[in-house]
Parts: sequence; structure tokens; C-alpha cells
Amino acid sequence: MAPPAPRDMGDSKYLDVNAVGKAFKGTSVMSGMDFRVGRGELVSLLGPSGCGKTTLLRIIAGLTTADSGEVLLDGRAITSAPAHKRNISVVFQSYALFPHLTVAENVAFGLRARGHAKTDCGPKVAEALALVRMSDFAERKVAALSGGQQQRVAVARALIVDPVLLLLDEPFSALDRKLRETMQVELKTLLRDRNMTAIFVTHDQDEAMGVSDRIAVMNAGQIEQFATPSELYARPASAFVMDFVGLSTRLNGEVIESTENRSTIRSAYGTVHAPGTFVPGTKVTIGVRPELVKTRAAENTLRVTLADAMVLGSKTQLHGRAEAGDRLLCEVPGMNSDYAPGDTVTFGWDVADSLVYETGT
Amino acid sequence: MTGRAERIGLLALPGLSFLAVIYALPLFMLLLKSVQIDGQFSFAEYVAFFSDSYNLSVLWRTVRVALLTTGLALIIAYPTAIVMARAKGFWLSVFLVAMVLPMSVGVVVKAFAWTILFRTRGVLNDTLMSLGITDAPIRMLFTETALIIGAANVFLPFMVLPIYAVLRQMDSRLPEAAASLGATPVFRFMNVTLPLSLPGVVAGCAFTFSLAISMYVIPSLIVGERQQTLSMLTARSFLYLRNEALGATISSILLLIAISVVLTSSWAANRLGARQ
Repeated sequence: MAPPAPRDMGDSKYLDVNAVGKAFKGTSVMSGMDFRVGRGELVSLLGPSGCGKTTLLRIIAGLTTADSGEVLLDGRAITSAPAHKRNISVVFQSYALFPHLTVAENVAFGLRARGHAKTDCGPKVAEALALVRMSDFAERKVAALSGGQQQRVAVARALIVDPVLLLLDEPFSALDRKLRETMQVELKTLLRDRNMTAIFVTHDQDEAMGVSDRIAVMNAGQIEQFATPSELYARPASAFVMDFVGLSTRLNGEVIESTENRSTIRSAYGTVHAPGTFVPGTKVTIGVRPELVKTRAAENTLRVTLADAMVLGSKTQLHGRAEAGDRLLCEVPGMNSDYAPGDTVTFGWDVADSLVYETGT
Repeated sequence: MTGRAERIGLLALPGLSFLAVIYALPLFMLLLKSVQIDGQFSFAEYVAFFSDSYNLSVLWRTVRVALLTTGLALIIAYPTAIVMARAKGFWLSVFLVAMVLPMSVGVVVKAFAWTILFRTRGVLNDTLMSLGITDAPIRMLFTETALIIGAANVFLPFMVLPIYAVLRQMDSRLPEAAASLGATPVFRFMNVTLPLSLPGVVAGCAFTFSLAISMYVIPSLIVGERQQTLSMLTARSFLYLRNEALGATISSILLLIAISVVLTSSWAANRLGARQ
């Protein structure tokens, strides 16, 4: 078995979350959390709801107090600094724009909180609004804005104070799909241009893949893997990461024979080979990314009865009938209408393309 | 569909007609009496009322007591409302019961209970003297201070509940967003929490002031006849003097003050809200 990739925690420790623990009413949300981000990096915390990603974000922002551990920013300990002294801006899922203020007043808020007179804020506010292409809306009340416009205002409001770190909590989840993709590209470009260090919290893997240099996949208060999007996809460190990031063919089986770095595994659909050395009898989960599964014989070949064939435009997904907990999935490029449910098809893949994990006991 | 909307509007009919018949109509007839002398339209009753310096002192005392009661209630209520807005489960129930339950104890019972506390040899004076803070008992009962404290106590729920309702609705992310933008707790309160809670403050002040300026039972029990209020004057006009015109005149003045204070405060709140 390929050893799990060592956790990449970043060489530069611009943000350094060190052994942080937090419990709510006696229930531990995270313990011993280590998380490091380099200056100018765009990072995502990706995980299912309840995995602790928002709690970690709030601890970094100073909105929640950690029970243990410390948080350093640019070498300074900020663990006990209140939120308003950290100069870390937060964009909330609901945007949290001030409903009693106009767009321009919302954007000026951070400057006014820093003691700037209202009249001095004008040029910077105009600049910030221009940055997010909201100049024409300066005097509007925020309630009159659409979701995308509100998000732009929230970003302008967060950036006008030149924060040392920008935190975004599910910033795109309130937007519809088309707008979400546009806004992701727009925001990423904007943050790159300003060399902003930013952390996104999201449960949406496409969003995380799209906006981040690196992604920390979180599960049950732990970071399972922290790596680049392509690394996560090609070499997931655990079956959880494999399932959470991207789709895959997934088989559960038992090792019946193992020689040096090659095991023979019995699954419900036949015998397959996979890399890695295991004690015979070990229960394993095998994964293969769907675009690596071909509809012809290869080193591993299964005969599969199709449950569904989905023509998705740029690709066609073939779903085979599988037992509970397993998945048989093959993607062929382009629109292909040669397949129909009930057809028997050959799925084949090479040993080297297989991912193997010991099944958790 | 307008037809549907109109039919739903019919649901307001019982309430509106009840108010019209039981409240608006008799009140209108009463107020009419204040500008009618022997069937002639006249402001003579008003002129007479305002030329009497005793009446003016009662008017001033009534307004002053109502304003101070409202102010005291607001100072006590606002922090309470903040705590309530953040409370959950058991503690929220405790607060709500604590707010509502005292309303079921009649004012008469409360007033006599205060007597035990405030009287010359009462609990408060005994405590003050045993602590050596004063040598002689302080006269507290039958004073305006006692009246204001008592009234603020009775009307407190009417101040707390509207402010609580507004604060409860407020997105808890707003103060957090303000904090992340560098706002100190004071700046956050002055620029986010307070302006957003103004509708509740105005509603609470309007309730409390309207109740305080027209209160009758509380001043009767706490300060008695010695320091009259407009409501007591009104009652005396109707019950002892049998002077309906005078009673109606004082009632109208009371009503006008209450309406103008309510309108002014809501106008001020709108202005404040717009300026923020």
C-alpha cells in the first residue's frame, strides 16, 4: 500500500494554529489541531457539517475562544487578543451587512471603527466599491441588493481595512450555481492581485478545488489531509478524503494473497489486484477515479451490469449495479448514448491507478 | 388576488368594530364635551384650566413623573433585554416568567408590599440605619421618588419585552462582523446594536410613557391626595366635582400629550435610523 502522503502543513508559518482544542458543553469539537498557512496562500477548510471547520475559523477570527493551544499570526501570539484587535476580516455566509446602513456606509464601517472621520472615508470607499464593481450602488440600502451584490459589498467591506488575513465562511453557498462560479473566479483574481492570505470554509468540494492553493479536508475535528487540489484528487490520504473529494469506483474486499507491493483482493464482483502489501485477511477499500476506469479489459477487469447511463455533456457516466457501500463508476469522455441500463459492460483499470485503504475496524 | 386579500381583511373586522364601539366612540363623545359649553363651541374650559397655576403644577408633575418613570424603566430594561435575547432554554423561561408573572399580581397588592419596604420603620430604613448610613429614618413613602420607582417597576415588562423582541430578531453575526472590522465593544453597541434596537426602544418608551402619564392607581396608593396627577384630577372632576366638562378637558390634554410624545419619539427614531 502506498503510504499516506505526509501532511503538508506549509513551510512558511504566516498563520500558525498550534495544538488548539475546543469543547462545547463537554463535547470535544477538536483537540490538538495544527494548521499552518503561508503568506498569500488561498486555503480551504473542506468538510461535512459538524466537522469543526467553522469552529476553527471562528477561533482564528477571535469570535470563539480556544480551550487550549495557541494561534500565532506572523510570529505574534494572538490567542487571547479580542476579535477587534486582530485585523482579521470575516465574510459571513449571510454576509452580515448592516441593514440600517447604505452600501457606502457598510463599506466605510471598518475605517470609522478605526477612528477615521466620515468625510475622510470617501476616496477609499469609492476605490473599494470600484474594486467589486459596485460604484453605482453606493447610496442604496443593502436590503435592496441581490445575493451576488451583497457578497460584493461584504468583500469590499472586509478588504477596505487591509486585513492581515481574510476569512470566508461558506461565502458562495447563498448564490445560485451560475453566479457562484462567476463569483469564485472574480474573488480569486481579486485576492491574488492583492496577495491576500485567505481561508475559505466550505462543504462544497468544487468550490474548494476552484479557489484554493491548498485544501485541508476535515473530518470529526481532525485534518485528514492538507494538500493541493490535484494531490488530494490523485493521492487521497484516506478513504474519507477519496469519497469527499471527487467521485470514484469503490470496492470493499478482503486481501487473500499479498506479495511485495501487490495484493490480490476478493470483492463481491470478482478478484482484483492492487498495489501494497497486507496481511492476508485484511479488510480493504479500493478506489479508482472514474476517468481511469475504461470500458475495455485491463489489468483488473470486471463485468458490470449498468444501473444507469448519464449523459452529462462533456462526459458520460456509467453507473454499475453495486452492493451497499460499493460503487461501480466509469466516465467516458463526450456524449455517448451507446449504453442503456441493463447492459452488461466491461470495466477495466490498471493496478497502478488503484487506491487502497485498510477499512476502519 | 384582491378578492382573497379583501376576505382576509375581514378578519380585522371584529377587532376594529370592538375598538370603534367600546373605545373610540365614547372617548370622542367625552372629548366633545370639553369644547362644548351649553351647546356652544368654546375653548373656555381649556383657558380656565391653563390659567390655574395649581393645574399647571399638576400637569408638570404628571409629565415629569411619566418621563422619569420611562427613563428609569429604560435604563433597567435595556441590559435585561440584552441578557434575555442571548438566553436560551431554561433561563429564557425564567426571564419570561419573571417578566409576565408580576403582571398577574394586582397593583394594589404590590403597592402595599412596597409600603412594608419604604415606610418610616420599614425594611429599607431599618437596614440603612443598622448599617449606620443614616441616623434618622428617611421619608420615602409619599414621595415622588417612591412613585417613580414603583411605577417603573410595574411598567418594566412593557419596556423589556419590545426591546427583547427586537434584539432577539437581530442577526448575531452583525456584532461579530463589526468586531472583525475592528469595532470595540462600545463602538459596536453605539453603531450596530443600539440603532438596530431603536424600534424596540421607541415601542417600549411609547408603551411605558402612555401608561405612566395616565396612571391612577399607583399614585393614589403611593403618594395619595397630597400630590395629585392629571388622572387623579380627572377622577376628582367626574366623581366629586361632577364637572364633566373639566374632566373631559383634562382627559383631552392627557391624550394629546401621550399622542404627541409617541409621535415625536417615533419620528426621532426614524431620523436617528436614517442618519446612521
